[in-house]
This record gives sequence, structure tokens and C-alpha cells, in this order.
Amino acid sequence: NEEIPRLPGETRVTDKDVIYMCPFNGPVKGRVYITNYRLYLRSVETDPVVVLNVPLGVISRIEKMGGASSRGENSYGLDITCKDMRNLRFALKQEGHSRRDIFEVLTKHAFPQSHNLPFFAFANEEKFSENGWMVYNPMCEYRRQGLPNERWRVTFINEHYGLCDTYPSLLVVPYNATDDDLKKVAAFRSRNRIPVLSWIHPENQAVIMRCSQPLVGMSGKRNKDDERYLDIIREANGQISKLTIYDARPNVNAVANKATGGGYESEDAYPNAELFFLDIHNIHVMRESLKKLKDIVYPNVEESHWLSSLESTHWLEHIKLVLTGAIQVADKVSSGRSSVLVHCSDGWDRTAQLTSLAMLMLDSYYRTIEGFEVLVQKEWISFGHKFASRIGHGDKNHADADRSPIFLQYIDCVWQMSKQFPTAFEFNEQFLITILDHLYSCRFGTFLYNSESVREKEVSQATKTLSLWSLINSEKSKFTNPFYTKELNRALYPVASMRHLELWVNYYIRWNPRIRQQQPNPVEQRYMELLALRDDYMRRLEELQITNNSKIPNSSASSASPSQMMSHVQTHF
Amino acid sequence: MEFAELIKTSRVESVVLAGAGLPPARGTLCITSHHLLLSSRPGGAGAAATVELWLLIRNVDAVEKRLCGSSGTITLRCKDLRVLQLEIPGMEECLNVASSIEALSSVDSLMMMYPFFYRPQGLRLEDGWHLFPLERFFQCIAAQTNQWRLSAVNKDFSTCPTYPPALIVPAAVDDGALRKAARFRHGGRFPVLSYYHRKNGTVMLRSGQPLTGPNRKRCPEDELLLAAALAQAARGFVVDTRSLQAAKQARMGGGGTEPKSAYPRWKRLHRPLERGRPLQESFVRLVDACNDASLSMDRWLSRLESSRWLSHVKAALSTACLAAQCLEREEACVLVHGAEGTDTTLLVTALAQLILDPSCRTLAGFQGLLEREWIQAGHPFHVRCARSAYSHARLKQEAPLFLLFLDCVWQLGRQFPRSLEFGERLLLALFDSAYASSYGTFLGNNEKER
Repeated sequence: NEEIPRLPGETRVTDKDVIYMCPFNGPVKGRVYITNYRLYLRSVETDPVVVLNVPLGVISRIEKMGGASSRGENSYGLDITCKDMRNLRFALKQEGHSRRDIFEVLTKHAFPQSHNLPFFAFANEEKFSENGWMVYNPMCEYRRQGLPNERWRVTFINEHYGLCDTYPSLLVVPYNATDDDLKKVAAFRSRNRIPVLSWIHPENQAVIMRCSQPLVGMSGKRNKDDERYLDIIREANGQISKLTIYDARPNVNAVANKATGGGYESEDAYPNAELFFLDIHNIHVMRESLKKLKDIVYPNVEESHWLSSLESTHWLEHIKLVLTGAIQVADKVSSGRSSVLVHCSDGWDRTAQLTSLAMLMLDSYYRTIEGFEVLVQKEWISFGHKFASRIGHGDKNHADADRSPIFLQYIDCVWQMSKQFPTAFEFNEQFLITILDHLYSCRFGTFLYNSESVREKEVSQATKTLSLWSLINSEKSKFTNPFYTKELNRALYPVASMRHLELWVNYYIRWNPRIRQQQPNPVEQRYMELLALRDDYMRRLEELQITNNSKIPNSSASSASPSQMMSHVQTHF
Repeated sequence: MEFAELIKTSRVESVVLAGAGLPPARGTLCITSHHLLLSSRPGGAGAAATVELWLLIRNVDAVEKRLCGSSGTITLRCKDLRVLQLEIPGMEECLNVASSIEALSSVDSLMMMYPFFYRPQGLRLEDGWHLFPLERFFQCIAAQTNQWRLSAVNKDFSTCPTYPPALIVPAAVDDGALRKAARFRHGGRFPVLSYYHRKNGTVMLRSGQPLTGPNRKRCPEDELLLAAALAQAARGFVVDTRSLQAAKQARMGGGGTEPKSAYPRWKRLHRPLERGRPLQESFVRLVDACNDASLSMDRWLSRLESSRWLSHVKAALSTACLAAQCLEREEACVLVHGAEGTDTTLLVTALAQLILDPSCRTLAGFQGLLEREWIQAGHPFHVRCARSAYSHARLKQEAPLFLLFLDCVWQLGRQFPRSLEFGERLLLALFDSAYASSYGTFLGNNEKER
């Protein structure tokens, strides 16, 4: 029996001879191994060996291809659609029901949720030197921001998720709002997602608040508690006259939502607020956009009309709108002119994108590896972005309308920023791609389930699964950007014009061997070589210094040690 | 003709200069024979004035004037793609300034160009004129093989008016044969060596189209020349930068292609590359798209695509890769030509050398490449770069081949970030200089003129 890579806790289920219909290199004869975590293919008789290493979590759909009577070579087998911009096709020998068993095994293990089986994350027995569950502690993160203070307090009203079951247990609200006030406001906000603090500006004390849409409805309902609450928020930052509300939706959609009980804050009801629509479309539009993008890049890149094809997917356009919205939020807060309240419909998709991107622009802490992990844990995971529904972990219902690449879109925006500011982020491209890989893989518990309440209550995740951050933080050097220069408190405003946004070819077209750029990145490699050279020289200088000092017994040890000297000769970008 | 006659107003006070990216500046505008200067008011306590603008008038592509009451605004669109605005008090001054600039920028006589007048003080410059003699390039080849020689057949430019005086030709072919071969090629541009691939001894040649004409003329000297060039290589490829159809049609006008029967070991490949008017129009559409401030976000990519500029870049790079692969992988020789052999031909040979030869990627090597494959090879810079993307004038022979080459080099630098010794700034400086410069490097159309 041949050996295949296996994680501790990963067990083999079955294997089979197949022909992998590689869209780039043609049919490849090989053996496919299925474990409770992955699908692994190794080719036979080819040089070089072709390997496929696909976590089952990546699979969104398995279809039978061809029937008992199909003719044509390699027309009988399985067609596998994946969530990560590729598809896999395997041809099988058309004898008997050779396909049935592998189809059933794959279906069972790729869609454990639909078969009452646990995710691999619960069987995973890996050990890491770092514990990623310790990365995010809400109280520590708020304290880092100087909270609570005289204007903002921490409330435990949602400690048992009684106020809002999709919010985290710890919330920061204006000092002058009582827990009773909060209960009343919750009745007027979709899903009880009341306005709470995401971030506070360290100097001007303006804040980014997040929430969901007010339940205005067709009859134009008003709620004086909600209105008063927004006033309290506005007054918490003494200097400003109007609270700025950013509604992520297009104007027409926000109006249309009234028909289903939602809506937005009208001028009459909220005279001290100024509302802007950011024109970002809903999850269904994003899902379709990504589907179109996949069509033009996989398996073959649509060369003949590449640019207009790309344009017709509107993918970059949506990226632009999200980034533009976040820039507006960040700019408003940093100018100190106004605090900002962000919401969409439910406040867990576009809202999360906007708050976390704005925070990335304003706060250099979130641009470190640890800070970014905290940002994702906080604004996405703890604040109830419905990862389970959006990704469909282990669920066979591939056509579920709840699925949407909102988080991927966010990571794309982060990537765009990292291209425009190559020295501003402690993490590199590999970090972002790894996060996306494990968004689907189900190897870790980080992205499983829809909200903190489910994770804490029904599955005490921290003890039963591993955190993705354990993997990353145990190998930080692999994910570190060698050009990172720590610059405290510089606000970064990316240019969101279509002329400056690029398609993230290294992610969306990663499977196409023709598109792959020089690996590893030659400039990064060279920079790391130079850093290693510098370290080597520093060490030698230190050694020489020591031998020099020991030779002359009277020499004053007044000269700084080499490492101290070097810190004044910082290699900057 | 005196420059002074063309200048109606040489000095205007209180002009406001504005342009993309510049904060507006107010100062005194001066028009000299070759430059527009604007110096802002000196600061307090006798501080010196700042020169806000020092523009070569040759750089001006188009002049627009708009009069409004007692003042006027002149918009200058430059060949380097800058757009500047001058707000001039006084209608008459405005009109005078505009017509002076128009007249001065239309001066076409070579000897009147600024490089002939430029006398930089205190600058110690290398003697760039003699940095890259063809003799030195030839020495490297002569050290490897004796199949080639340096010929002085063109030393008085009588054999080919657009070639340089020194040419690298097969040792087995004498000057008399070269003269006859020259009569069989467009513009007298007979096949000469452009690059010797040290790794396997294959060569890349370039020329103009053969003048086979409708009667399928032949020229034994040209055939001898190409056979001698092949030497040990088993075969050669003719990379024709025209489409098959265009090449066939060229016969009616006296041109054509190398017939298989006469050149048995040469196989012809057609890789059409755009040049001339269509390329200039593509450039204009590209610049339009870039400048359109109103362009709504969802149209940028398709507008970029409809300019077709990037498809020209792609075609040029693919053709150069093809030529390079023929030499490196197929171990065959390559002859590149289009019709005239002065545009797309040079684009391909220069790019192919960048792909194949690491020494061309050093700063000095790249300069040598430009000298050999563009300047001395006779790319007609003067007519190609007379006008740029903004000009309203009726264009004659303008086409941005050199810019296309620079774009291709930039693409290479992006894909292989550690492989070029020079950066984007050099490419931008080259682009600017090709259209308007204080230096004479890109003046004229060929060595004979220079």
C-alpha cells in the first residue's frame, strides 16, 4: 500500500484507479485516495508525477458523468465542481457499477453535514506550537483601543445571547445608554442587531458603529428609542453635529426592503443624521459575478476578448464599490468630523466588509499578522457572518441561495491594498491564500458555523477543534512579508479606480500552469537573502567587537553593541 | 528664418500655470526660441524665483485657446502626454502666445532643433556618441566564428541610404554581391546580421521585403546571401510581420515574399504586427481612455480593449518569443522582415535579443541594443515621432512603434522583476526623448541624415 500524506486523525477510506482528465495536460492515469479529509491523486507512469491534493471541504458538487451506454473514451466517470475556482473530472472504467461505490464514498465524506457525520476538524489530532484560540480576546482588544472609557462601556447584556443570538457575547455601547435602552432598540433592528461599537479613533475619538437595517417597513414606522439611541451615539463624541450613516445597499434596494419590513433611517425621523447609500449589491449578485469569473478563467482563460469578458463579470467593479465604501467610512472617521454607523440589511455581509476594511485602513495594528487574525475573528466570526451558510461546509445543497463569496471578496480587497502598499502589511500573499484555502477545507474550526452562540453553546469548539491561527502562527516566517515596515498610525487610502485594481491572478487562475508567475517571488527571495546577509554581518561584527574588547582590557565598553548600532542604521524602504 | 520672427510676445506677466497633479502657480511666462518658461514670483526677502515650467516647445502636440472676456486660457497637450493650462491676462497676449507656440512647435527643420543649441554648463558627460561602435559588437562575434565579416560597402550610404556605414554580413559574400542584393530589397535593406546566438551559433537577420514583384523576379545574390547565412544550421525561418494576405498583395506593388523554390531551406511564418496609421489610432484611443475623467467605472476595461493597444503588445511579444524560440530551441536561423524593414522588423529583433541575451538587460547592454537595433538600424524617428497622441494635424507617417517597444520591455520587467538592470524611469525618459529632447540621439531618420 502506498503512502499518502496524512494528518494525525486522518484515516484512509478507499482508493481507486482512475484517469484524471486534466484540462491542461490531458488525461492522466493515476490512483485516487479518499480519506476523511481529502481527495489525493497520484499519477502512475508519468514523469513528472502529477499530484492532486484536494481537501474534501472544497467540493461543492459531485455529478455522475456518462452512463452505462455512453461511448467515447473517458466519457464515463465523475464530474466534481469545487468552490476554489476549479473543477475535477475523473474517468473510470466502464465496467459493472465501478462508479457507484466511489460516488457514494465521496458524497458521504465531502458532505458530512448532509449525512450526519462530523467535520474532519473534530477528528483532527494535529499539534501546533501556537494555540490560535488564544489570539482573540475581546476584552484585550477593546482595552487595546482604550475601552471602556468615560463615553463607552462594555455591556454583558448579550452574555447568553439573549439580546441577539448572532452577535458576540461582549458588546461596547455608549455609556449613556442603559441595558434597557438596548433591549428597546433591538426590537427595531433587523435580527436584533443593534448599533454597537467596532472601532474608536485613538485621537479624535470618533467611532465606527455597526448594526442592521431599521424595521421601518411600508408604513414608515418610527421608534423613539432607536432615534434617541443614535443621538446618544452622536453625542458620545462631543465635537460633532451630525452622525453619518452609511447604508451599504443601493438606494433602490434599501427602499424595496421596506416592503419586507426593513428600510433605512429617514431624514425626518433622524434629523441629526446624514445617510449615504454605498451602492454595493447583495449576496446573489456577488455569487453570480464570481460564477461568471470562473467561467472565463477555468479551465481556459478567455483570451480573445479578455478585458471585455472580465468587465462583463463585474467582479472588479464590485471590489471597487466595496473599497470605495470603506474609504468613505475611514475618511469620515479619521477627519474627526463625524462618527459613522454602518449597516446593510442584516449587517453581517456588506457591513462586515466595510467595517473591517475601514479598520484596516485606519489602524496599523490590524495590518500585522496577529492584528489581522484579531480583525477577522472580531468583525467576521464573532459578529456573526454566516460562514456555514455562505460557504455551505459539508452541505450537499450546492444551489443554496445563501451561498456567496462575500469573505473572498473581502480578502480580495485586502490583497488590492497590499499591492498598492507593499510595505504596509506584515503578512504576504501566501497568508491570504492560506486563509482562503482553509475557509473551505474544514480542517480547522475557525470558519465553521454561523455565529458565536452556536459555536459556544452547541459545540464548544475551542476544545474540540483547532484554530487556523495555530497553523499560521506556528510558521509565521512562511507568511511574513519581507518588505514590511512598521509604521504606526498611518492611515492608508487605496486608490479604488478601475485603472488601479487588478485581477488577483495568483488566486483566481492559480490552477493554470501557463499563468503561474515566477515562484517563489524573485524579489522577495532576494530581499530575504539580503536580510540573511545583513544578519550574518551583524553577528560577525559582534564577534569582532567582543574579541576586540577582550584584547584591550581598558577599552571602555562605551561604544554601543553592534545590534544597538544597527538599529540606528535601519534598512528602510 | 529667424526664431525671433515667430515669437510675437516673448514675455507675459502674471500667468497662471495649471496641470494634472500640479498645484497652480502664478508667474512670468517667457517664450524663447525653444522653450516655454514660467518662473513664479520670488519669495519675500530676496529669495530666488522658482522655475515652475521649463518646457521644450518641440514637446507641444496641440494648442487650444479659449478666450473669456479680457483673458484667455491656452491648453497645451504635449507629446509626452502631459496636459498643461496657461491662463493669460489680456486677449491679445493670449492670442500672440498661442500663435507663437504653434509656429515654433511646427518648425520641422532638423538643424533648428534644440539639441544643436543645447550647451549645458557644468555637466560632465561621457562621449555617448561613440560608446557603442558596431566594430566592438562584431568583435564578440568574430571571437566565436569566422563565418561573418564587417563590411564597409555602405560607408557612403550609396548601397542603402537607411543603413549605417558598417554592416555585419556573411564572410563568404563579397561587397559586389551585397550591392546587387540591395537592389532586390525594399529601400536597399538587404539581409544583415542583427544578433548572433552564442549558445548554438544561430543568427538572426533582418531586412526589407524582397522585390519579387508580380513577375516573381529572383536575385541569385540575395539567395547566396541567405544560404551563406544559414551555414551549419539545418534550416531557417522567415518571420514576416505582415499577414499572408498583405504579403501576397505586396507583390502587386513590386514587393513580395521569398519564394520557396529559391530559398529551399527557409520556411516562412506570418505574424502580422500592426504599424502605421492603425497603430497611431490605437495609441490615440488608449490615451483618450486614460484621460477620460468621466469614464464610469464599468467601461474602463472594454474601452481599453477596444483601443487594441494591449493586443498589439501581445502580438509583438509573441512574435519576439517565436523568433527567440526558433534560435534557442529549434536551433534554426531567423530572418525578420515586414515591408520596409524599419518598423515592426526592428521591434521584433530588439525584443528577441532582450529575451535571449542577458547582456542586453544590463543598462549598458540595453543602450547598445537601442543604438544598434533602433537608431543605427534606421528607424525613422523624425517622422515617426513628429506628432504624438494629441495632435490635430493631419498625420503623415507618425506611428508609436518605439513606444510599443518600450511597453513590451516594461511588460518583461513586470514578469521578471529581477532581470532588468534598469527600471521604469529609464523607459519613461526614453519615451519623452524620442519625441522632444535636449539631446540629439533620436534626431533624424537614419545615420546618413545624422
